[in-house]
Amino acid sequence: MSATAVVHSLLTSAAATPAADRIPTPHIEYAQLSPVLIVLGTATVGVLAEAFLPRRSRYWAQLGITVVGLAAAFAAIIALAADGYATTRAHIAAMGAVAVDGPALFLQGTIVLIALVAAFTFAERRLDPVAHGNRVDSFAAQGSAVPGSPQEMKAVRAGFTTTEVFPLLLFAVGGMMIFPAANDLLTLFVSLEVFSLPLYLLCALARRRRLMSQEAAVKYFLLGAFSSAFLLFGIALLYGYAGTVAYTGTATAPGIAQVIDGSANLTPALANSTGNDALLLIGGAMVIMGLLFKVGAVPFHQWTPDVYQGAPTPVTGFMAAATKVAAFGALLRLLYVVLPGMRWDWRPVMWGVAIVTMVIGAIVAVTQTDVKRLLAYSSIAHAGFLLAGVIAVSPSGVSSVLFYLVAYSFVTLGGFAVVTLVRDAGGEATHLSKWAGLGRRSPLVAAVFAVFLLSFAGIPLTAGFAGKFAVFQAAAQAGAVPLVVIGVIASAIAAFFYIRVIVMMFFSEPQPDGPTVAIPSPLTSSAIAIGVVVTLVLGVAPQYFLDLAGKAGVFVR
Amino acid sequence: MSGFTFPLLTVTAAVPAIGAIATAAVPAARRTAAKWLALAFSVATLALAAVVTGRFSPGGARYQLTESHAWIRDFGVRYELGVDGIAVVLILLTAVLVPFVMLAGWHDADPLEGPVPNRRWRPTNGFFALILAVEAMVVISFEATDVFLFYIFFEAMLVPMYFLIGGFGDRAGATGDDAEEQDARQRTYAAVKFLLYNLVGGLIMLAAVIGLYAVTARQLGTGTFSLPEILRARADGRLHFSTSSERWIFLGFFFAFAVKAPLWPLHTWLPNAMTEATAPVAVLITAVVDKVGTFAMLRYCLQLFPEASKWATPVIAVLAVIGILYGALLAVGQRDIKRLIAYASISHFGFIILGIFAMTSQAQSGATLYMVNHGISTAALLLVAGFLITRRGSRRIADFGGVQKVAPVLAGTFLIGGLATLSLPGLAPFVSEFLVLVGTFTRYPVLGILATVGIVLAALYVLVLYQRTMTGPVKAGIEGMKDLKVRELLVVAPLIALLLFLGVYPKPLTDVINPAVKDTLSDVHRTDPAPQINAVAKETAK
Amino acid sequence: MNAYAPILVLGGLGAGFAIFSVITASLTGPKRYNRAKLEAYECGIEPTPQPAGGGRFPIKYYLTAMLFIVFDIEIVFLYPWAVSFDALGLFGLVEMLLFVLTVFVAYAYVWRRGGLEWD
Repeated sequence: MSATAVVHSLLTSAAATPAADRIPTPHIEYAQLSPVLIVLGTATVGVLAEAFLPRRSRYWAQLGITVVGLAAAFAAIIALAADGYATTRAHIAAMGAVAVDGPALFLQGTIVLIALVAAFTFAERRLDPVAHGNRVDSFAAQGSAVPGSPQEMKAVRAGFTTTEVFPLLLFAVGGMMIFPAANDLLTLFVSLEVFSLPLYLLCALARRRRLMSQEAAVKYFLLGAFSSAFLLFGIALLYGYAGTVAYTGTATAPGIAQVIDGSANLTPALANSTGNDALLLIGGAMVIMGLLFKVGAVPFHQWTPDVYQGAPTPVTGFMAAATKVAAFGALLRLLYVVLPGMRWDWRPVMWGVAIVTMVIGAIVAVTQTDVKRLLAYSSIAHAGFLLAGVIAVSPSGVSSVLFYLVAYSFVTLGGFAVVTLVRDAGGEATHLSKWAGLGRRSPLVAAVFAVFLLSFAGIPLTAGFAGKFAVFQAAAQAGAVPLVVIGVIASAIAAFFYIRVIVMMFFSEPQPDGPTVAIPSPLTSSAIAIGVVVTLVLGVAPQYFLDLAGKAGVFVR
Repeated sequence: MSGFTFPLLTVTAAVPAIGAIATAAVPAARRTAAKWLALAFSVATLALAAVVTGRFSPGGARYQLTESHAWIRDFGVRYELGVDGIAVVLILLTAVLVPFVMLAGWHDADPLEGPVPNRRWRPTNGFFALILAVEAMVVISFEATDVFLFYIFFEAMLVPMYFLIGGFGDRAGATGDDAEEQDARQRTYAAVKFLLYNLVGGLIMLAAVIGLYAVTARQLGTGTFSLPEILRARADGRLHFSTSSERWIFLGFFFAFAVKAPLWPLHTWLPNAMTEATAPVAVLITAVVDKVGTFAMLRYCLQLFPEASKWATPVIAVLAVIGILYGALLAVGQRDIKRLIAYASISHFGFIILGIFAMTSQAQSGATLYMVNHGISTAALLLVAGFLITRRGSRRIADFGGVQKVAPVLAGTFLIGGLATLSLPGLAPFVSEFLVLVGTFTRYPVLGILATVGIVLAALYVLVLYQRTMTGPVKAGIEGMKDLKVRELLVVAPLIALLLFLGVYPKPLTDVINPAVKDTLSDVHRTDPAPQINAVAKETAK
Repeated sequence: MNAYAPILVLGGLGAGFAIFSVITASLTGPKRYNRAKLEAYECGIEPTPQPAGGGRFPIKYYLTAMLFIVFDIEIVFLYPWAVSFDALGLFGLVEMLLFVLTVFVAYAYVWRRGGLEWD
């Protein structure tokens, strides 16, 4: 077409355009993407509610919208799974951008349930003392007011609350749901940003200790941006290697996986400019680094303790549980779908990462004096145990990691929910010395926390044990016996500090000026109860969930 | 077999478990109700254990009253129960001892009177619920024939034990103004030490359990933990352990059991735990929970890994003998009554382990019998010692003297318990100790002779203890000491009666034990070596 | 290499124009210095603020900058769509309406919550 014709076509109507010049419209399977669309749509409705509803009614409206949206998304996931999209009808949707398969649906379901429980803890308004006649939650009265300034006083006196946390939560959930399902590197990157940005904001919104919370958010943001840059650079290099960002494809329209295993049917021109192994190795390593950052594996773990400590505790619980689920999902898909041909290159490295993560997470935790930091290091150690399952490169490796993620995340949510209950005049009393003698003052809360700690420690008949057994078993069957032995030793070290907390709670004298245990509303109570139930059910009768994870453990290519 | 069979073993383990929950649910203020409820459940368990014993026919199948259900298919785990003769007697021992432990500890969890009442938090219902929980877990670990099922309860047992040790000590260790605080600190230390030692042992066993799964999964197609199935597969030749993997997995298992048993040099948690715990809890540790360790050596180490067991026997036997002598020597030097008994127990566990790994029928029968007899004799001695300590408010031997003048019955029962501990002929432990020694002589004469020295030392520490505490002039603080009350007599008298009965007539027990021991030995492909000594041993056993 | 020649030429032209303007300005322009002229240009605000209370930028500046970016980015998507509107057809129209709608949700939020009021 000549230049004049182009200009002409701009001025004439669409009907005049020859059919050959039509840009083909992408084919998008809305039904199969409905869980994500529902969550993001609900988040948008939440923003509108925030804009148009009067301040008084926003809290209940937001809570209702969030719960309904998440429940609808979960129902959609179940419907998809029931239709066989997890197994026989698993395929790649949205022009190769998003996979609809077992692991994706399983992890999306897990994330939605985590978000539902987290929404309960977000909505808790009985714990903080009533401020000027208004019940308040864990979030800042006005995020933009300078801490300690007159504006802040005014906001607190007026009883403001940041109900925007609910839409932010939903946006983060939407991103997290795409993350493990992403089937090309750009979708991966976009979804990473979609869930990271709301999390940075949520971290900064604590009602108490606001400076610490803002510092945590800045640290998280800076290090997160750094890791995003790594990821993006890695994506660019992988594109340079393969000439595509798609994970998989066909012989004629190859994905990265086809280029790696040599089954791609490349034109000579393309074949000349692709296939540079240096680009593949460096690019792959950088993408994995970006994901390991989100997972919190050593040596990319430095942000974890500070952020977990500074963020509002409900956000910490959500972040610790859901981010890990999403990031491990993405890591599994990348390693199992794109890079299985490279496993002789990445497995030794991941061995090393798993070992240092388990060992450093467990050893450094021993010296912690703050319960939130302690749980942060414990989450690092758990990331190490999970990596042991990732390394197996077998179906049982995938299903064991999926199972472990479920077991770990609900226990974590429950654990952080208990942390919100123990309070003194300054808000939550997170220093461990304050927890001394808690077992005397409120045996039930201490006993529940002890159950969570025992599960973290992997004592039999708890979910933590079943999960640990599953991943170690998968690793041992894949021949990683030394890894299992180191994992077991790390568990023993880790058990030491969990036990130490139990000792403090039950066998130490309570301090005279110790904290009080707030009576929560049914919201937090149910979050904790769900944690306990999951701990016991997955500990005593895990078979149903192992079956589920086993059935969901096959990636679509 | 068709139709519904009554799950007797499950019920036997479930009754104390339900009892634990029920007792824990009793309101904290109703202390007496909680006690009676717990006692009732423990007696019911005893009745069930008696039924199990009655239904067990010694000449019958190897594992009887079996139950088998799928549990966690992905891990190859089945809910499989079954008892052999060894398990039956140990279940019976547990069920017999727990009611006495409860009776003896009737007031151990009452609120303390003193200058600062209610300072220490002692929920009565918690104490009794924890005892029942331990009983349930011990019983099911004796019943399990699935390695994984066993492992779960072997580990989970630590949690209630830990709270029993750390939460309910007696107030008798330290003196001075901050005595209570010092006691609390020591008790916490002991509880944590107990937990960490056993947890590390358990986690190393976990690695071995996973290794076992990996081997069975590779060779049988599907991994399994079922003991009978593994034994069958190996007999068919479908399953074969390579020498190195068998040895590593064996070591993983053995390490956990050796910590629990405890075998020198992994024993150091026991004196702390037994000293700081109240006497009834100490009985629970040494007479009940530790037996799981020695029992598991017999059932799992020998049956699953016969070659590795034979390979390790010389080292283990030497360690056991060191334990016998070391425990006895340290017992001689103790100044604390409970510590002394703890070291004596370490010495006795040396005998049990020596008997197991001597791999002769007399030695293993003796070792199994020893588990029972040691349980009863230590319980008798420790519980009486507990009564003594509560009366005086001190554990130090130097604080006692001339007790037999003011409390003759107490002194008398203490003497009988002590004599049982030093294996006086006519009392139950003698038979078992003799069998172990005879069985060991036939294979390891030198070790047998060395172990005999342990008996001499036992006489020394028991008699010196008695002499220092019971005889001589009445010391200050002893004058007004009351003799045993009815409740305390109810605890001690049956135990002493049992000691006397089994001392002269051990046949009911040996009849049940012997077939199981024979099966175990045939698994290890060991036969008794020296016929001329065999004859002597048979004489004694009859 | 031929394909890149126009880009190089464009770059050269751009650089040439920049150098030319700077040199011309310094040669021909009048030079009257004052304090304000010596300071770095920061969108009309004090570049190194020392107000009472510790020197925090008013949040308004960030808000304005962010709103600008939101609508700026919107243009990035709208412009190519407008150029090939007919080639994209109905699908393109619907998708773009959805996109604009989402941006309007954000706009409505900002408007209702007072983000457009300066004081």
